[in-house]
Amino acid sequence: MTRVGPDGEAADDGGVVDRRRHVSDYFRLERWELATDDPDAPTVMAGRTPVDDHQRGPGDGLRTGGLLTGIDSLGGFTSGLAVLPRWIVTTSLTATVSELSHVGPLRLRADVLRRGRNSVVTALDVVDEGADDRHVAAATMTCAVLDPDALTLEFTRPFALPMPEPQADPVDPVTFFCIEPGTGPVTRLRLEDQLRNPWGILHGGAVAMLADEAACRAAAAVVPGVGALAATDVVLHYLRPVRVGPVEARCTVLGTRSGRTVVRVAIHDVGADDRLVTLGSVTVVTV
Amino acid sequence: MAYAGYPPPEHLLRDLGMEAELTTETSARVRTRVTPEVSAPDGSVRAGVLATLVDIVGGSIAAPVLYPDRMATADLSVQLVGPPVGPWVEARGTVLRRGRTTLVIEALVVAVDEDGADTTVDGRPADPVAWASMTFAVLPARDGTPTGPMVVDLPMRWTFDGRPFDRPVFDALPIVVLDGPAGRVSVTNRPYLHNYIGAVQGGVAAMLAEAAGAEALGAACGRDGSGMVVTDLQIAYLALGKVGPVVTSTRVLAAGPGSRAGAVVELRDTGADDRLTTVVNVTAEPVVAVGRAS
Repeated sequence: MTRVGPDGEAADDGGVVDRRRHVSDYFRLERWELATDDPDAPTVMAGRTPVDDHQRGPGDGLRTGGLLTGIDSLGGFTSGLAVLPRWIVTTSLTATVSELSHVGPLRLRADVLRRGRNSVVTALDVVDEGADDRHVAAATMTCAVLDPDALTLEFTRPFALPMPEPQADPVDPVTFFCIEPGTGPVTRLRLEDQLRNPWGILHGGAVAMLADEAACRAAAAVVPGVGALAATDVVLHYLRPVRVGPVEARCTVLGTRSGRTVVRVAIHDVGADDRLVTLGSVTVVTV
Repeated sequence: MAYAGYPPPEHLLRDLGMEAELTTETSARVRTRVTPEVSAPDGSVRAGVLATLVDIVGGSIAAPVLYPDRMATADLSVQLVGPPVGPWVEARGTVLRRGRTTLVIEALVVAVDEDGADTTVDGRPADPVAWASMTFAVLPARDGTPTGPMVVDLPMRWTFDGRPFDRPVFDALPIVVLDGPAGRVSVTNRPYLHNYIGAVQGGVAAMLAEAAGAEALGAACGRDGSGMVVTDLQIAYLALGKVGPVVTSTRVLAAGPGSRAGAVVELRDTGADDRLTTVVNVTAEPVVAVGRAS
């Protein structure tokens, strides 16, 4: 059984805090719940991430994989709060990025659209506070509601988690997410322990970052004379949890339309009988 | 795989002239003819029509896989890749994962010739027309639902025969533009547009979002709706549109020379307390060329 304490930190059965917020801490994601007077109102949360220089991508803003990590973290948490005492696991994430250049910080908002017996649908919106709240991204995520016996959760409501301090020795996202160097249609990620979420599986944000990097490498390999590339529209279906690793993203470039290259991304857990764990598509543009 | 009595004789799916084949227990293909009536201003097949095709191929797979349970489309995404270069477009779907509460399906849309072969360009297979994926929510069988085996002889083929459109598909529904720049469009709920449980069909919702997004983004870019082509739809189906009219509202996220054109379209059932039924992320681009498959 896994227990999550009032400040959102995962703890083991012995009550010893196991700080596994590593991924969202890397992007210094601040999170807070927007309280309402109506106890039956859907859960609403907000977040803020500063866009540190070492996390900027080719578009001069937060890399799309980083943006998706923030969206996954905030959206997942919001969806989970909406179904307490049960919790959730993300099953699909779709996002469209309208602006790749960011001043920062970015502010996120998550609204639960539908809370069903088996699933929760949450909409997320991202704006650039440093650019007069210019729109950055819109996303929708669907989460499956987990068996209530799987874990015990305790939160102080309204929930709030401050922005983590800057890293003393920052590394770029590809290094942080243990994505191996390479080119072409196949990109590999080493499943290091710090990339696991509190439930011990690969963090959805890490999957998104892998999809981003892999799609850009695949497109660069087939589009002649292409410059720097960045991911925009993303569709990800999280089919099965990643438990073993290494994790391999195998890409197929489907075609290019008006400068937008659509890449199919199939992600496999190589150490778990090579099973397909995530399938999706990433649209890549030249910046 | 059609449910008994569905679609009725007068129905959108019949007028789209869909031809379907369940090829294996977990895969199917459904095709429709490329005509000016189902095409966008640049000659590509409308994203909403492709979404309808994909929804049907997914449903054709899901029905026997889930039997005696039934299903409802929970989400659907379609991304246009290349223009159709053949007389038909065909969605080929396959199961990715069958879970206790959901079924996930991937579909590739390709151009095919009259004989069903992949269309070639300069001796090579043409680029895909679109990539799509969808999730079905499993609706458990109720008491009284037949639980005997569903016998399917493979391959299983069927055709939805109807009357070919004599006007653009948006006019046949019909979609009514209430306020173009605001992305407010409407459709009346009627049997012609129903899914098998009597609500507005998922593909119709996609077409409604496509029309609303094109209108709003066209206005934001200094064009009318016909000056934009919707290339991506990311659809979340939240509730059934059972009463109607179903009316959209649209929030433009970005539109201009320096940014991509995107919008969020919400569909509400105005006859059911304005219930939010569907949320769609829409991406569009200006029309740059007009071409159409012969």
